[in-house]
Amino acid sequence: MTPQTLDAFQVIADSSRRQILTLLSKDSLTINSLAENFQMSRPAVSKHIKILYGAGFISIQDIGRERYCILRQDGFNEIQDWINYFDKFWITKLKKLETLLNNKTNKK
Amino acid sequence: MQKEIKHTFFFPHPAEIVWDYLTKPELLSQWLMENDIQPIAGHEFQFHSKPALAIEFDGIVYCEILEVVPFRQLSYSWKCSPTNNGYKIDTVVMWTLAPKDNGTELNLHQTGFKENENDLFYMAMNNGWTKQAEKLLQNLNSNSK
Repeated sequence: MTPQTLDAFQVIADSSRRQILTLLSKDSLTINSLAENFQMSRPAVSKHIKILYGAGFISIQDIGRERYCILRQDGFNEIQDWINYFDKFWITKLKKLETLLNNKTNKK
Repeated sequence: MQKEIKHTFFFPHPAEIVWDYLTKPELLSQWLMENDIQPIAGHEFQFHSKPALAIEFDGIVYCEILEVVPFRQLSYSWKCSPTNNGYKIDTVVMWTLAPKDNGTELNLHQTGFKENENDLFYMAMNNGWTKQAEKLLQNLNSNSK
């Protein structure tokens, strides 16, 4: 089966997928242990997992004989990193401007 | 989550002097970055600085003057990291100068930082997210109508 690629909004539109992500936000789980939380068949759970994987929400890792689903958090904080960077950047630069202007006064 | 940047500085100088340091390339480059600014609405220019590897910033800022009110207000777009799909950082920098008794208060306001869809999702998930996610979906649905 080719994993479907949906955008983030289509991904969270489905309540089963939201529930999978909520479960994974607490702990990484195998596909089997995830499936135990649902009435639907294991292949149906698998299909949702493939969709979540395709949209970049989770990664899948083989640990021993089991396949674990892990919530992917990489990239989620990227914009915050830029904001933090520019926040500090501006403070440094404005202090430099302050020094420049102060020196200008002293030279008068 | 913080979504914008605000700073206020006071300089014991008239607004005209501070204005020069914001709008003249040779003065601006002394404290900010190398640039080819001109305080004329529509003027496109760039800032060049050292790259910041941690955030994959190549050090180039792409700008266009949006608004000029001499000695009072200056705003320009501030875009970084071009991608196939627009700029990763697509923000606006607004400078406001307020004359005070013994000098000038300079306000910086940078706005427009936005997350990609996964960030929105993640934020929503962190804040009791079913409700939030439904709100996002509603917005999305009403936008696409």
